[in-house]
Formats: sequence, C-alpha cells, structure tokens
Amino acid sequence: MWHKISFRLLKQELKRGELTIMALAIILSVTAVLSLSLFSERLQSGLLERSSEFLAADRVLSSRRDIPQEWLDKADEEGIQSAWRVIFNSMAFANDKLELVDIKAVSDGYPLRGELKVADKPFVEGQVTNTLPPAGEAWVASSLFQALSLEMGDAIEVGNSRFKVTKVVTYEPDVGFSVFTDSPNVIIRYSQLAETGLIQPGSRVRYNVLFAGTPTQLDNYENWLLPQLNDDTHSWRSIEDGDSPLARALNRAERFMMLASLLGVVLAATAVAVAAQRYCQRNYDVVAIFKTLGAGKQQIRKIFVLHLLLLTGISVGVGILLGWLIQSYVINWVAEQLGASLPSASWRPYALAIATGLISAVMFTLYPLFRLISIPPLRVLHRQMVGVQAIRWLQWILSGGTIYGLLVLYSQQWWLSTALFVGGAFAAGILLLIGRLLIGAGRKAGMQAGSAWRLAMAGLQRRASANSVQMLSFSTAIMLLLLVIVMRNDLLADWQRQLPADAPNYFALNIAEEKVDDLRAMFAREDIEATDQYPLIPGRVTHHNGTELIDEVTKENREEVEQGDREEGFGRELSLTWRDTVPPNNEVVSGEWWGDNAEPQVSVEKQAAERLEIKVGDTLTFNIGGEVFTVPVTSLREADWGSLQPNFYMIFNTSTLADFPATYITSFHLDSERKDELYQLFRPFPEASLIDLDAIIEQIREVISQVSIAILFVLVLVMIAGALVLIAQVQASMEERQKELVILRTLGASGKLLSRSISYEFLMLGAISGLIATIAMDLSLLILQTQVFNMDATWHWRLWLVGPISGAVVVALLGRLACSRLIRRNTAQLIRKLI
Amino acid sequence: MLIQTQQLEKIVETSEGPLQILQPIDLAINAGETVAIVGASGSGKSTLLSLLAGLDIATHGDVLIENEKLSDLDEEQRAKLRADKVGFIFQSFLLVPSLSALENVMLPAELAGHKGAEKEARELLEKVGLSDRWHHYPNQLSGGEQQRVAIARAFVGQPKILFADEPTGNLDSKTGDKVEQLLFDLNKDYGTTLVMVTHDTTLAKRCQRILNMEAGQLAEASQDVA
Repeated sequence: MWHKISFRLLKQELKRGELTIMALAIILSVTAVLSLSLFSERLQSGLLERSSEFLAADRVLSSRRDIPQEWLDKADEEGIQSAWRVIFNSMAFANDKLELVDIKAVSDGYPLRGELKVADKPFVEGQVTNTLPPAGEAWVASSLFQALSLEMGDAIEVGNSRFKVTKVVTYEPDVGFSVFTDSPNVIIRYSQLAETGLIQPGSRVRYNVLFAGTPTQLDNYENWLLPQLNDDTHSWRSIEDGDSPLARALNRAERFMMLASLLGVVLAATAVAVAAQRYCQRNYDVVAIFKTLGAGKQQIRKIFVLHLLLLTGISVGVGILLGWLIQSYVINWVAEQLGASLPSASWRPYALAIATGLISAVMFTLYPLFRLISIPPLRVLHRQMVGVQAIRWLQWILSGGTIYGLLVLYSQQWWLSTALFVGGAFAAGILLLIGRLLIGAGRKAGMQAGSAWRLAMAGLQRRASANSVQMLSFSTAIMLLLLVIVMRNDLLADWQRQLPADAPNYFALNIAEEKVDDLRAMFAREDIEATDQYPLIPGRVTHHNGTELIDEVTKENREEVEQGDREEGFGRELSLTWRDTVPPNNEVVSGEWWGDNAEPQVSVEKQAAERLEIKVGDTLTFNIGGEVFTVPVTSLREADWGSLQPNFYMIFNTSTLADFPATYITSFHLDSERKDELYQLFRPFPEASLIDLDAIIEQIREVISQVSIAILFVLVLVMIAGALVLIAQVQASMEERQKELVILRTLGASGKLLSRSISYEFLMLGAISGLIATIAMDLSLLILQTQVFNMDATWHWRLWLVGPISGAVVVALLGRLACSRLIRRNTAQLIRKLI
Repeated sequence: MLIQTQQLEKIVETSEGPLQILQPIDLAINAGETVAIVGASGSGKSTLLSLLAGLDIATHGDVLIENEKLSDLDEEQRAKLRADKVGFIFQSFLLVPSLSALENVMLPAELAGHKGAEKEARELLEKVGLSDRWHHYPNQLSGGEQQRVAIARAFVGQPKILFADEPTGNLDSKTGDKVEQLLFDLNKDYGTTLVMVTHDTTLAKRCQRILNMEAGQLAEASQDVA
C-alpha cells in the first residue's frame, strides 16, 4: 500500500507544481554537469586534434637511434597511422654556395595532422598539398632560395645525392617555435635517405615516428610501447607537453573549464541542498498527519524514500535529455562558427551527470529526511513541534562530504578539490559571521528610515539566522559568477597580450653586423614594427664551476656523470648574445643585472639554470670559436618564451662579447597584405634568412577563439546555476513571508508598502551578499591567478561597485517576482492557502 | 471498559521549573459512550486527548485501551493501535493538501493495509454529502466541506474510538451545526465511542457524559453544569 501512497503523492505534487524547485535543482545539476562535461570533453578533443597539427601527429616518438620497424608494425595492428620523419643537419651546395640546412626525410602520410603548404616561388602564400616530393626532388624553404641564390628547378647537392628543387615549402605544421636557431628546411623522401650516405654511425640524427589514431587506440599503444622505451634515447610527446604558447593556452583553458565546471557543480549542488531542505519542511505536517492516522516510522520512511527516488529519477532523466539537447545544439553552433566538426564524447559525462544528480539529491536530503521521519505525531496539536535536532553536525558532515566528493569525482584531482573545499568552507564561515554583523548594523540604520525601510530592516533582523544562511548562498552564487566572469576576461586579455594584432610574424636572422644600421633604417622607412636587433654568437658551455659538461650522456660516460666527474650539458651549440639592458619580456629573478659594470659576467635563463643546477655566483666556461674563457653568473632571468621575440639562454654584458664576430637577429611585424614586398625589402640583405610565423600565429589565434567560445558557454551555464540557487533560496523563505504578509495584510498594510518593504529587504540582502561576494572573489582570484593559472595577480576595483549593485538589483528583482503573486492575492485567499 | 486511565499525570519541564499540566486522573470510558471534555483554554484538555490517543506519553500513570497499556507499547505499536482502533477529527481539519478528498479519506485504510479502501471511502464521502467533490483538493473546498472530508476520513476503517478536537471550532455556526449533526449521526450509525474536546457547551450537551477540566484536574460534570 505504501508505494501507492508514494506514487499518488508524487503524481499530485508534480501536477500541482509543488516539487518544481526540487526537480529543477536536480535537473539543472544534471544538465549543467552533463553539458559542461560533454561540451568540454568534445571541445577539448577537438582542440587537441587541431592542436595536434603543431606536432603533425597526435603523438611523436623521438629517438637518437633508429626505431625498430616492429614498433611501427604494432601501431599498424592497432589501426594507428604512422609516418617517418628523420631530421638532421647537413650542408647543402648549389650555385657554388654552401649553407647549413635541416634535412627532413619524410614518408607517405606525413603530416598525419595539419597540412603542408607549398608555392611555386619564395615568400608568397602557399597552397595546401597532399603529396610529397617525388624521388629525386626536394622542396625547400623560402630562405634557402635567398641563401643559395636558387631558382626554381635548380639542383642542390646533399651528401651523395642531387635533388631538383621543385617547390617552395611555405608552411610546415611541425616547424615549432624555436625556429630562429634552426637552419632552413629541405624536405626529401624518407626512401631516399640511405642514398645520401649522410647517416653514419655517430651522426647526430633525430629519428621521429609520427602517430595518429583515436584516444583509445593511442592509449592501448602507449601502454604497450612506453615500458619498452629507454629514457636516455627515446622521448614520447603529445601537444600538451612542452612550453609553447599553444600548450600553455590549452592547459590554462583546460584548468579554467575544469574550475568553472566545478563551480557550476557546487552551485547546482547548493540549489539541490536548499530545495531538499524545503522539500522536507513542507512535508512536516503531512508526516504528522500520517503518524496520527496510524502510519509507522518504517512505513513513512518507505513512502518518502520512494517518493524522493522517483522524483530524483524523473529529474535526472529530464536533466540528461536536456543536457544532451543543449550541448548538441551548442556543439552544432560552435562547429558552424569554427567550420569544423567536433569528435563525439565518451560515456563518462553521462555517468558523471547521473552520479551528480543522484548523489546530491540523496545526500542533501538525508538529514532533512531523517528529521522529517522523526516528526512527532503530536505536531497535529502543537504545530511548532519539529523532529530531532540533536545531530546537526551530521548535516554539516553530510553536505560537506557530498560537495567534496562531487569535486573529487568531477575533477579527479585531490589537491585542487581539497584546496577549493577548505578555502570554501573557511570563506563560508567568515561570510556567515560578516552577514550577521552587517544585518545587525542595517537594523540600526533602518530605524530612522521610512516605514517600508523599517519593515524591511525588521524583517531582515527577525530572520537573521535564516537570512545569514540565505546570504551565504547568495554570496556564494554571486561570488562564483563574478569569479568565472573575471577569470574569463583576464584569461582572454592575457592571451591577447601575448598575441597582439601586431605580434612579430617574421624572424630575420644571419644579418651582418655592418648591415644592422641599414636594416634599422629600412624598418623605419617602411614603417615596420621590429624588436631590438640582437647580436648572435654561436658558442658552447664547456664547464660549470670547473666541472666538464658533456653534450650527450651515453652508456659509457653515465658512470662519470653519476660520480660527479662530469655533468650533462646543453647538448648543442648555443646562441649567445650581449646587451646593456634587460631585454623586454625578461625579468631578473635572482642576482643583479650588471648596469655599468664592465667586469665579464653572464645572465642565465631560469629554466636552463634549473636544468643544469646553475646558481648566481657559479662560474661557467665558454668556448667561442676556440677561445675559452670563464665568467661568473651574476643573475638569473625569467624569459617569456610565448612572446614571439628572440630569447636567449645566455646573455653577456657588452664588454665580454662585443669583440667577437656576430650576426644579428630580429623579429618584426609585416601586415599580410604586404607579404609580396618582402623579397624586395630584403634584397639589400641577401645573407639574411627569413622565417615566416604567420601561419603558426593564425593557428594559435584560431585555437584561442575556440577556447573563448567554450568559456562563454561555461559562463552561461554557471550563470543559470547561480540564478537557480537564488530562486530556490527565495522560494525557501516564501512560507514564512506568507504568514507575515497575511498578518500585515489583515492589519491593513497597503500592497505598495508590502511590496516596497519586500523589495528593500531583498535589496539589502543582495547588496550585502554582493559586497561580501566581491571581497571573497578578489581574494580567491588572487590565489587562483598566482597558484593555478601562473598569471600576474590583479585587483578588480571596478567590481567592488558592480558586485554589490548587481547583487542588490538581481536579488531584489527575483525576490519581488517571487512575492508579487503573494501580494496580488487577497487576504482571504492567502489565509486559505495557509490553512 | 474501552478506555481507562490510572493516575495519569503530565509534567513538562520549563525554564522556570517543572509544570504540572495534568493532575493525577482516573477515568473510565465505556464502549459506545460519547464523552465531552470541556474547559478553559490551557486547562489541559488537548493534552489529555493526546495522551488518550497515544500521540504523547504520560509522565506518570497509564492509559489502557481495551486493557492494553499504552506505556508498554513503543511508538510503532502505538501507531498500529491508532491505525486499527482510532479515528481523529481536528479543529484545523488537517487534510493532506496534495491529496484529493477521496485520497484523503482512503489514507487511514491504506496505511492500515485494508483492501477495498476506495470503495469504503466513496461510500463515506457520499454519506457526508460530498460524492460530487471527491476529486477536489482541500484548498478547493470550503471549511465546512473540508471538515466533512475529515469526518469521512475519521470513520473509514470503522474505528472503535473517535477523538475530536474542537471539531466545529473553525466553522461558522450554521456550518458548524451541520457538521455537528453529521458527526453524531455517523457516530450513532457506526456505534463509535466518541471523545471530544470542545469549548462549545451546546455541542458538549449532545454527549452522554461531560467532563470538566480545570487547571489540570478532571471532574465529572452534570449536563447542567456544562
């Protein structure tokens, strides 16, 4: 019988709209979690796919030695595409000239991700090609045309082979960002590599195999392959590794999405908690009646647990449907915006959403339900009687545990969840305290105000305890919203700052010292924005504090390294430079810049210093063209590798290096419509090599715009979740307000007075919540920006005004709206509703 | 003897020390009797009713229903006893707002696991003159109609005892009279024992016995005193 009663209660209450808020809260939590995680998963894999173009693959296996063919065969078995890419330095000869080039020997399928663009003449826009150079032909970079005075169809000699130059490579997806230290590229077929005779034992060759496949295929393959790799010779990379601006943008976007989604989940869970409390309170009388009529505790437990489970089940179902609809609509829209399709998502978001709905509904209702079941039947005679109060701590543990559990479930990151949770709990305690104090202060101020104000202040004060809890959720909602909005703006602004519209899009290197002034004059004359010109002197670091550095750790010399006789070095020649001032986008983080000090000394980039364990005060020995000298390290610098400007590991003061012969490097911005002028502009500088970054910059911009759309979507969802918390909270206080309204109405208060006093009360609540939210938001932001996003911390003074005002307006509007029906009703109707 | 109390006492703790709400009460009510408990507000009438119905527990003494001591029963067993033997009518009707008139009337029978609850409920609604309103919700019914639903609910399952707390207290005199008549008619038909708390002396006079409650002390009153 009990299940019949349960079904009936649910059916009637659903029909009469009494469960709307509870159902909406669950639906929203499920919808929000589902669409957020579906969307972010799909967008992220979409982004990764696009970003994989920067690797020309999903994964790259690099090795200093040849890679066993069986590893490629295994990939083939898994259904993974693979292609060879072998890179090494060599000299190229043509027209009696000689140039150091990077030979890239590739096999069919290259690039597995992204596209290769070629043109018929140098320094023009290229066209996408799906082919590779035929046997006997080579495709070369524009700069090599300059360096070797090439014409299309000329032959270049590389090792024992001759290749006919048939195309100019204008864009390679995997060209990377440390381009200005590299030589021009020459692309040939992998099958012709052996004929060149250039690969000898001991040659410095980088063997790469590119892989592309589905995440599952790649995961399987990774599980098989990784145990076989040798850390010394192999490296396994995906786009998310590394310190490129793109990897950083992606990582930040991922963290933002995660954080915003977590905040969305917390908001939705809060809405469920508020609604669950109200759901149970509303049933106090019903339980008392049931008990009076002879229902036992067991029976009541069964009736209400089933009722709740049914309600939750229905709401979760609706939530899943809605979430799926929303994200598929949004995904289509986003795909249209980007002109790309996004891959489909896994089952995880669905499981996560269902779990979130069930867990939050059940866990948040557990304590209120416990109280509901303990309602004494005597309540039918004494309406003020409520159930057991003794285990209030249980409610805190349950709610806290649930929120923490959801955070962990969603983020799968202990530290982030714990930090958010502990910080949140601490903030909540302080918010409660401040809220109460402010409400007390408001009462004093209100005594002198007009009667609607007085009524509002009295109301605030009377409900101080309920209001401070209400204020806590208002503040939390407003705070989380502000947080997400501000984070988004800061994040986008930070990206924009890194890639402004006039970001350098060319590097010019190999400029002769005597031509630097001419080049500077040319930039000024042609109105071209350029960075400083840096001298570039190739040299090696040979000793650190007197200990010899070795370029390559082999089995033979590993022992010496372990014994401390020798240390691992950079493994290559470095580009050294000298300067009087700290370069733009560099910051001295340890030691001091030399200023006028002419003593020989060097400043080392921080990451390089960390890798080689170099500290201020250490000595480094350099070998430049056979000349060996030792200098002290007087400062460590942090360089912004994301900025498209020349950056250096080692910078010397002018007096130390000025006498060494140097070539110069600079980067500059040239509008894309002026591309054609480039050849002409650089005619007076035939020795200069040019590297075009336009295509790469464009790609980063595209990725960033995709991320921006994603963030906007997350923002909208978080906003909806926030609004629902506000509505649920206002609804929860409605019953008590209703009683008060009846009394005031009966005593003859005008509708205008009542509606004003309600508006003022909510206005005050909203303003206080907004203020607290702003303070809390700025503090959390400080921590997030510095600890999670590695950004500079900024205060948001404008929000200190916007927060309270918008809080006041939104909360007052919602409160007014919810109460307007009450005020419009006549007293008799209200009295009847209460009975 | 259907209902019996032995030295029944109720004391509650207040901030100013213990407060004796009921002085020791010995009372016996026979099956089929109609008994009115009258007295001023706060005299302890409702407390006595709640103890007799097993909604509350006595501080000392006992209530026996059909020779079963309520103090020997736990909450579950007392609920079972109410389900089997007791019906209620309250001043504020206490209908479940989200259930229709018919569903409200069926409720006690369903909670007791009776088969044929709906049939019985329909018959009772017809008896109280609401056969055309069975699908209405409490807030769609007038006060008098709501109390008639409550009366129908009280008789469903044919309880031996009916406890009524100011059954006409919330109704105007005309409606109150009609409801009163209905209550006594049904009571007669079903042969139920009626224990009613009321201010209303006219209503009280319709009962066979009148008990007067004054400052927690109960005394038998003649029809004239009431």
